[in-house]
Amino acid sequence: MILLAITAATPLLLAVLGETIVQRSGIINLGIEAMMLTAAMTAVLAAQGSHSAAIGFLGGIAGAAIAGALFGLFAIELHADQIVTGVAANLLALGVTGFVYREMEQSAVFVRAVPRLQVDVIVPFAWIVAPIALALLLWRTMFGLRLRACGENPEAVERVRRHRWIALGIESALTGIAGAHLALMLSSGFAENMVAGRGFIALSIVIFGRWKFKGAILGTALFGIAAAAQYALQAMNRGIEFHLLLALPYVATLLILCGIAGRVRSPESLGKRA
Amino acid sequence: MTRAVVAVVAALALVALTGWLFGHSPVDLLSILLGGSLDETILKAIPLLLTGLTIAIAFRAGVWNIGGEGQFIAGALAAFAAARFGLVAALIASVVAGAAWASIASLLRWWRNAPEVLTTILLNFIAINLLGWCVNGPLQEASARYPQTDAVSVALPQLGEVHAGVVLAVAAAIAMWWLLYHTSEGLRLRATGFNPSAAKFAGVHVEAQVFRAMAISGGCAGLAGGIELLGVTHRLFERFAAGYGYSGIAVALLAQLHPLGTVVSAFFFGALATGAGELQRSANISATVATLIQAVVIFTMILFGRRARA
Repeated sequence: MILLAITAATPLLLAVLGETIVQRSGIINLGIEAMMLTAAMTAVLAAQGSHSAAIGFLGGIAGAAIAGALFGLFAIELHADQIVTGVAANLLALGVTGFVYREMEQSAVFVRAVPRLQVDVIVPFAWIVAPIALALLLWRTMFGLRLRACGENPEAVERVRRHRWIALGIESALTGIAGAHLALMLSSGFAENMVAGRGFIALSIVIFGRWKFKGAILGTALFGIAAAAQYALQAMNRGIEFHLLLALPYVATLLILCGIAGRVRSPESLGKRA
Repeated sequence: MTRAVVAVVAALALVALTGWLFGHSPVDLLSILLGGSLDETILKAIPLLLTGLTIAIAFRAGVWNIGGEGQFIAGALAAFAAARFGLVAALIASVVAGAAWASIASLLRWWRNAPEVLTTILLNFIAINLLGWCVNGPLQEASARYPQTDAVSVALPQLGEVHAGVVLAVAAAIAMWWLLYHTSEGLRLRATGFNPSAAKFAGVHVEAQVFRAMAISGGCAGLAGGIELLGVTHRLFERFAAGYGYSGIAVALLAQLHPLGTVVSAFFFGALATGAGELQRSANISATVATLIQAVVIFTMILFGRRARA
């Protein structure tokens, strides 16, 4: 059951890792939901077009990158408010994917079974490789130091925008893989609004993990196990309390935000307009 | 004003272009989208106007109330519970419940410094599941066939084809305009949003101000939920809120956060929602084009207004 929980929480973890990097650079990206949803759709399109799950994952990354570029254009280049931009990106992704899905619902792309990876390499990548690589990047390199400085005191860094774009690029890659994993490995294709709030949960886990990768893994694992336990309870239950159980993860996240995890200190310039 | 017109034209042009790329006639598409019935447009505009006010008041005070959806549900649940005491009681209960649901977020902000952007979003999910539980469990209709409640015993009076909620919604918009621009409370509220440290220096109790703004804002969303229940659906069911909370953001931004502008903007988005439903029925084009247009409107408003304060 633990393994199942870990697998099911893999897209969430990838989103948390990406958002941690981005928030360390001083940007709060509410558009993770948009990036993952777009990625889920482009991953299915690419995988069906090429009959290859690997190409599907690349397609997912491309989709997330488009959504990320739109967010970056407004939030980094045009200095728009990051929260409004993020909400708008989410609405846009919901509208575009809903529209395209309806147009092509009957076509083979969304009906035929999607190609899958033989071995789910994404799970070890998300839980072991990516966190170690990102932690080394953030804490052991000059670039990581500059990136964190962008989040704490942007005046002290040259080329802040470039660092933030790179952080957003890393997040695009990770959320792209997350969306593709969701559509190709955890479900059998695309469904409308299939990300279903994971982006917002990821945002909360970033705070729960206090902007650290160890915290990100711990928070996501706890959340994943709680979610799996909820399904197990649901299976045993008569079904009425199922909706109350569904609310539990959100209540838990709310409690986390209220400082069950102790004092929270965010990057100094997080969310401020440049 | 110019910005708003540009945003609307840009969004419609983009949708026509997208539809054309997928082989639909742009002329037909736009004529269906904008040609919905007036009565249904007004019915759709009523909740949009109130959730638009929700966002306008909160953003003016500089708080991020993304929780319109949850406050809408809280208001409807309270109105349902209080309906046995009469129409007025139900409406008052909806305002109080919306304000209370929003106040959870401002309490947590004050007590634990929890960012209201996230807490309001989480409270949306909690409210949605709470409603799901209610209509499947304790509040399910007596015949227990569908996951919905029985019809409420009171309803808003009809004014022709629309219900009296339209009067309440427009009155709320005028009241919010009066509050913002003709009372000292409104001046303090706007000062808090404009520059909190300056407001504090001038003697405004910023935390209390944020708390009150959040409660007023949530009260509008709660009233929207109550009116929707008492005027349109008469029952509660799982997908009751239907995104009105999030749509309010587009409504408020198109109105440039002005309460009276929100009336016009809500009417426009109400027409769009009506037309989008018609598109899905008659041309099999997804009704999510309405969401698409909301997004493009927000982006265009940001694009042309980035020097002005959002």
